[in-house]
Amino acid sequence: MAPAGASPDAGSSEQEIPDQELIEACQKGDTRAFETLVTRHRGKVYAMVQNMIKNEADAWDLSQEVFLKVWKALPKFEARAKFSTWLYRITHNVVYDWLRKRKIDSAGELDDGVLSQADIAAGSKTSPSMTLRPDHALANSELGERINAALATLNAEHRETILLREVQGFDYKEIAKVMDCSLGTVMSRLYYARKKLQSLLSDEKRND
Amino acid sequence: MKKETTEELFVKWTDGVLSSDEKLQLDTLRENDPQIKADLEAMKNLAQSVKDEVPSSVEPPYGDFFNSQLMRKIDLEVKSQHPAKKAERWWQSLRWAWAPAGALALVLSFFAGHKVSRTTDGLVSAEASKTDSVAGLPTVYFTGKALNAEVISDEDGQVSAIVVNGLSAIRDDIDFVTVSTSEDLPNAYTSSEARRFQ
Repeated sequence: MAPAGASPDAGSSEQEIPDQELIEACQKGDTRAFETLVTRHRGKVYAMVQNMIKNEADAWDLSQEVFLKVWKALPKFEARAKFSTWLYRITHNVVYDWLRKRKIDSAGELDDGVLSQADIAAGSKTSPSMTLRPDHALANSELGERINAALATLNAEHRETILLREVQGFDYKEIAKVMDCSLGTVMSRLYYARKKLQSLLSDEKRND
Repeated sequence: MKKETTEELFVKWTDGVLSSDEKLQLDTLRENDPQIKADLEAMKNLAQSVKDEVPSSVEPPYGDFFNSQLMRKIDLEVKSQHPAKKAERWWQSLRWAWAPAGALALVLSFFAGHKVSRTTDGLVSAEASKTDSVAGLPTVYFTGKALNAEVISDEDGQVSAIVVNGLSAIRDDIDFVTVSTSEDLPNAYTSSEARRFQ
């Protein structure tokens, strides 16, 4: 079941126009085509950014920045590339620029501590809640919160790898392109991210 | 077996993308270490939970505002790259006619001056005759594209010369005393000049 707050797939009328056609129109300066493209992809970009930085207001601004960069870079986009991979590559750059800036501002380190669980305000909404049968909702919302809290403790690279693989369904090559790293690095990050996530969740379970 | 290879096998098994060769390798590992099977199962369950619990798409709050804000920024971006042309005054739209009009005015002035000087010299010119004013119209020389004029004067300003380049060559057979009317002149010009010389 799709969690509440998750955007439905893009509207059927808009979905009829393939991305590639919209991109070609955008490359000719058609801003209306670009708005259609934005409406279609903004949910995924916003979800990705929000899951990376765990801050709704900044996620909103950064998503805007992503699409502004997309608009500027669209003339250079080549049809043989996959648009979603390219879009997430830009999202990756915007998020990491933000994290770097935040690191400089706070004079901290870009590791698990930057986005530690302690940084998240108690009761803050880090992911949309689900609407399920009350008994299932109780169990599942707890699980969702635990997973989100555990994801927040991973370092940015591990968290992004998990999100791209499990949530966005990217294959290993696409992840490597988005994150600008080797396939081996992707495998290693996935392995350790899963191990760490598993360890965090089982520790929490034991503590309960 | 190398650590990297093991990690890759675990990751691929969790994602269900093992090749048959890789599957054989992993089976060997699992036979040697029963704990591996439990770990792999746990990892698979975790991956599925993340998939189920974390939405892949979340509409940003105030989606319409999101779009309008973004499109406003893009409009500014487009305008900064291609500054809009300023609205032109009506006379600015006639800029193309300035050069020929200026040349025409220059030529007319030239002939007007010529007529006056001849008259003051006491010579009888045809255009001075009130009886045949139309026949006394000057021939007009139209300019080429590269018309330019230069004023040369002495230091006292007592003597000056105007050099006009770009005018068509003046034919040798033109008698400036008894000038003839060009057949090519527009009627409006002919009548206007006739009135002027009356």
